[in-house]
Parts: sequence; C-alpha cells; structure tokens
Amino acid sequence: MNPTNPTIDLLERYLQAIGQSLPAATREDVLNELRANLTAQIDDRAEELGRPLTEPELAAILKAHGRPEIVATRYLPQRSLIGPTIFPFYLLTMRRVLPFVVAIYFIANFVKIAATQHGLSSVAGGLVDSAFGIIPVLFVWLGVMTILFAILERTYDKFGKEWCLDEWNPAKLPPVKPQGDKKQRSLANRIADLAFHCLWMAYIIEVPRHPYLLFGPGASFIARLQIGWAPVWHTFYVALWFLLLIQLGIKIANLFPAIGRFSTPLDLVSKWFGIVVAGWLASVGTYIVATGPGADLHKLAVVNHWMGISFKLVVAFMILDLGMEAWKYVRPRLPTARLAF
Amino acid sequence: MDITSNPSSESQIFDSLRLELRRGCLIVAVLAQLRVEHYGYTLRKALADQGLAIEESTLYPLLRRLETQGLLTSQWREEDKRNKRFYKLSSEGELILAQLLAEWNSINDSVNNILQNSVLQTPSQR
Repeated sequence: MNPTNPTIDLLERYLQAIGQSLPAATREDVLNELRANLTAQIDDRAEELGRPLTEPELAAILKAHGRPEIVATRYLPQRSLIGPTIFPFYLLTMRRVLPFVVAIYFIANFVKIAATQHGLSSVAGGLVDSAFGIIPVLFVWLGVMTILFAILERTYDKFGKEWCLDEWNPAKLPPVKPQGDKKQRSLANRIADLAFHCLWMAYIIEVPRHPYLLFGPGASFIARLQIGWAPVWHTFYVALWFLLLIQLGIKIANLFPAIGRFSTPLDLVSKWFGIVVAGWLASVGTYIVATGPGADLHKLAVVNHWMGISFKLVVAFMILDLGMEAWKYVRPRLPTARLAF
Repeated sequence: MDITSNPSSESQIFDSLRLELRRGCLIVAVLAQLRVEHYGYTLRKALADQGLAIEESTLYPLLRRLETQGLLTSQWREEDKRNKRFYKLSSEGELILAQLLAEWNSINDSVNNILQNSVLQTPSQR
C-alpha cells in the first residue's frame, strides 16, 4: 500500500471502514477479495479513460459500491431476533397476555391502595403513581417476552420440529361472530375504561368524607344551612358500591376476548341493576333532612320534591337507554323472517 | 388504498416486487454463469454484458454464501500480477442448478399458459 497515492489511500480507507464491521475470522479474506475486485474495476475504468483515475472518480466508484457498514452487513449471516416463523406466535402471545398483565397490575394496585392509603390526597397520589407505574412494568414484560422468544428462535432449528407449530385443527376454530359483535372496542380503549373506572371508584370512596368533591365551594354554604343527608343515602351508597364492583368485574372481563363476547349482556344486567337502585331512590321522597333548628323546612320540602322528580327523570332516561341497548343487541340475533315487516 | 393516483407509491411497489422476482433468478443466473470460472469482477461484467446487471454489494456476498452452501468452489490464484479469488460451480451446484432450471422452466411455462388463457378469454367468459 502506498499511502501517499490519494486514490489508493481512499480505497484502503474504504476497505478499513468495511473491515470494522466484519468478524475477525473472515475480515482479511473478505477485504482481500474486495480489494481485488475493486482494483480490477478501477483498472478497467482507467483503461477506458486512458489515464489514472482522479480522486473524485474513485470516490464515485466506491459510492456506487455501497456504504461501508451496509456492504459489511451483507457479508454477515442473515440474522433476526425473532424470525418470520416464530414472530406470528410472538405477536399472538403478546396480544393474549397483555390484558392479563394490565388486569393483574391494576387489581393488585387497587387492592394495595384501598388497604394502605387513607385520605383523598394519598389515594389520588397512589392512583396517579400506579397509572404511571404501569409503563416500566410493560417495558419489563415486553423485554422478558422478547428474550424468551429470541431464545425460542435460536433453538428452533434444533428442536423446532418437535414443537409442531404447523399442526392445527380447523374444527377448533372459534365460531363466527354475530354481525353486531364485529365492531369490538380496541384494547387500549378497554384498558383506559378500566383505569377510569378505578379512578371513579376512588372518587366515590372519598365523597362521603369530603362533600366538597360533590358540591365544590358550595359545600361550606350547605353546612351553614343546617341540613344533612337522609338515611336513605347510606343504603344507596352500599348499593352503589355493589354496582361499581359488578362494573369493575365486567370491565376486567372485557379485557379478555374469550369473556368479552358476553360484555354486552353483562353491561345490560349492570344497567338493569342501576335502574333498580335509581328507581328505589326516586320512590323514597326524602333525600335531605334538617340537622338543626335553623333549617327552613318549607324550602327543604321543595328541594326534596324536585330531587324526587329529577330522579324519576333519570330513571326514565336509564330505562330508555337500556331499551335501546337491548334492542341493538337482540336485533342481529332475531330470525331474518321476523324482521321482514 | 388507490395507488393509481400516487405514482411514487406505485413505483415503490413495483421496485419491491421486482426485487423479489429478481432475487431467485439472480442465483440461477450466477450458478449458470459459473459453469465457467470467474472472479467477482469479471463475473459481474459477464452477467451485465448479457443484460443482467447486479450490484457489487449484492453479488460478492452472494458468491460467498453459495460457496458456504457447497454450490461453488473457490481458489485464490494470481492473474495479471494480482491475487484474485476464482469461483466455479461445484458438482453439487451442477445438480442444484439442473433442479432450479427445471423449476424455473416449469414456472415460466405455467405463467405463459396463464397469460395466453387470460388473453383468449372474453369479458363475458370471466
């Protein structure tokens, strides 16, 4: 090599750059072969021109030959972390397991917060922490799963035939989904729904102890009016909790495609239960009672009257909503002949 | 997606499909050309002269891969005062080439038949 010759120097710099990305065992051999091929090409071009190549002309040949890192990559065995045979199973497993990971995480955190945190700020803080805490959990899970499947990829050539990945039974395919079930919500949407429901439950826990969460700044004004909640609200609170727990179960079940098929009937049941509770509340009549001699009993009676009417309206809307949802669910399942009217 | 309204997307699809179509054909051409001994640069020139241009960065690694698979043999030899690595089709390579050519001819015949039949069919017969 003559480093003073700029064209040879450029060629050697190019080969050196390729060599940096080649394994030591084959580096010299590959570089010698490349050098011979490129030198022959350079000689051919020089013969065509009738003079030695200039540096830009050589640079053009090297540029056409390819970027050193990419050229070197082509001499390496084709490798992939998870190849095309294993990848569909990797993707399928990730999609199937993800709802379990999210559900277990949120349930465990919700139980932990309910058992250990007291007071609005600590419960809210715990919920916010757990919402952000799922990100590293998902990264670790993703990493572990990817490593496991990368190991499977490496061992596939040796043991792959025993795994019988190609064997399947058409008879075990799931039944065709009814038309109405085709628009299933996305997984992200269902996870967000579960997370918001947990936040909603935390809010319901705190409302009895912190009325300002319900009335805002008006809470202190209401306190001065010497009025308070009627005993009916204690019963309603227990029923509401029961309803929220049913809904929590439904939202967790919705994460799993196998159970998710029943999400609409379960939703209808929970809505029906909600109507029962709201209907009972509408029929009670007394929602606010006097707690001191300063309370205006006439105004209290008017407020209770209008609250009763409001609840009755709410029940009417709930019944209408339940009827529409039930019809949407039942309609695609009715025999076609019955709909031909 | 309507690719007809997007020439760059159409060109990308064509390039990708062309690459797939050429990949297998290039191997057959390289094996066939190496019935006569060549080193990398002259092989590339010989293929280009017959209308099959291949990038150096594709051809040279391909030669090594085919040698690793036992389809080619190689030896370093001096020519024009320079050491060069010469490749030649091995006996195993001859067998594989014969099988690949039979397969290639069969595919070619089938595609030609399909094309002829599709041209003969009238729109009402489709």
